[in-house]
Amino acid sequence: MKTSIEEQFKVLQGEVDVLAGATLDTPLASLAQWDSLAVLLVISHFENVHKVSLSGAQIRACRCAREIFNLKPLSK
Amino acid sequence: MHTLIKHFRIAGLAVTTGSIRRNFITDGQAQGVPLAQLERVAKTIGLVDRMVAPANITALDLCEDATRRLLNEMNLDASSIDAVIFVTQTPDHSQPNNASLLHGRLGLSKSAFAFDLSLGCSGWVAGLHQAALLCAHGGAGRVLLCAGDTLSRLTNEKDRAADPLFGDAGSATIVERTGQATSMHFILGADGNGAQSIIVPAGGARQPTTDLTRKEKVDASGNTQHSENLQMDGAEVFNFSLREIPLAVQSVMQHAGYTPASADALVLHQANKFIVESIAQKIGFEKSKAPSGIVAQFGNQSSASIPCALIDALGDRLAANPLKLVGCGFGVGLSWAAFAGEVGPLTIAPIQPIQNS
Repeated sequence: MKTSIEEQFKVLQGEVDVLAGATLDTPLASLAQWDSLAVLLVISHFENVHKVSLSGAQIRACRCAREIFNLKPLSK
Repeated sequence: MHTLIKHFRIAGLAVTTGSIRRNFITDGQAQGVPLAQLERVAKTIGLVDRMVAPANITALDLCEDATRRLLNEMNLDASSIDAVIFVTQTPDHSQPNNASLLHGRLGLSKSAFAFDLSLGCSGWVAGLHQAALLCAHGGAGRVLLCAGDTLSRLTNEKDRAADPLFGDAGSATIVERTGQATSMHFILGADGNGAQSIIVPAGGARQPTTDLTRKEKVDASGNTQHSENLQMDGAEVFNFSLREIPLAVQSVMQHAGYTPASADALVLHQANKFIVESIAQKIGFEKSKAPSGIVAQFGNQSSASIPCALIDALGDRLAANPLKLVGCGFGVGLSWAAFAGEVGPLTIAPIQPIQNS
């Protein structure tokens, strides 16, 4: 069963600590520790949970978490 | 590229590290980085201590020390070595190569050939592949494989993203021809389109050293670098590692008939704990079979990290019995080299810091 983007975001928040207090639409740049480590954790989460590859450049270009969920994965 | 090489064995391993201990938290606090931020990175990436070399010590010195200790431990004379392969990204000179310098220092026979392989973190396995070929097909009875770097020399101390990752180390491996039916499978590959992901842009022939190439710039994250520093896009390297390395490892295991259950260990290049655990998980290896503890003790040691992990995590077992090993080095190039086969019993000289004279 396909889970909603809100539910998927909750799982992501559990793994990427800097997203803990954020919403899907919080500007990522406004988070104090939205850094290269956070990007690594997001890549890892999407690899493990969603089985898709996102690039660091794709994630860094996103303004909010909702945009990350709407990214087109890299071809495997 | 898949290769099956027979009739050789790894006979001995040694690693010499830098002698100066640097601590991630202490260094970070000295630069004014908040403790909570340091602890978050330390916990996730697995950074604790790293061992760096003093300014007068190079990869050549580290590998020479490892070689002398190993030859002593194996009771071998240097004159019995038929070839020396030196894997490094930080040679003493642009020419001659490090292998020739080591050839002279050790007093090797004039019939012993000496050449460098310009590779980083994939280099120990790629060098093993070359050494094995020389033994199996090239008429060499005994090959000295040295692999090591002083990458701490290339990073900028004010680059808090790259600098804390790297330690300095040199390894020595003795590879021998054997009449026994030993065999090892290799998978080697490269992706030159990713060359910019790990690069020292200036200081070579393309962009020679000038005042401008040493001019420091601060990036968007507040890290300082100049064009002769090692620059690494961590996210892209992580992406590459998760994309290519599981495929290479699964392929080499398939050729060898190994599974995560039947193999004794998966020894990956010790880039950092997070990358090692992520790759091992993707391939299906339990954490207990995939050593990831080198970075916390020594830092990312480039091409010396796999031999260091073999000694640190498996040394006692390898000294006593053969183990079914799978391994993969990966990094600058971008490039990767994986192996699968039985290793051991072999002679080990312990991991030691260089004695600074």
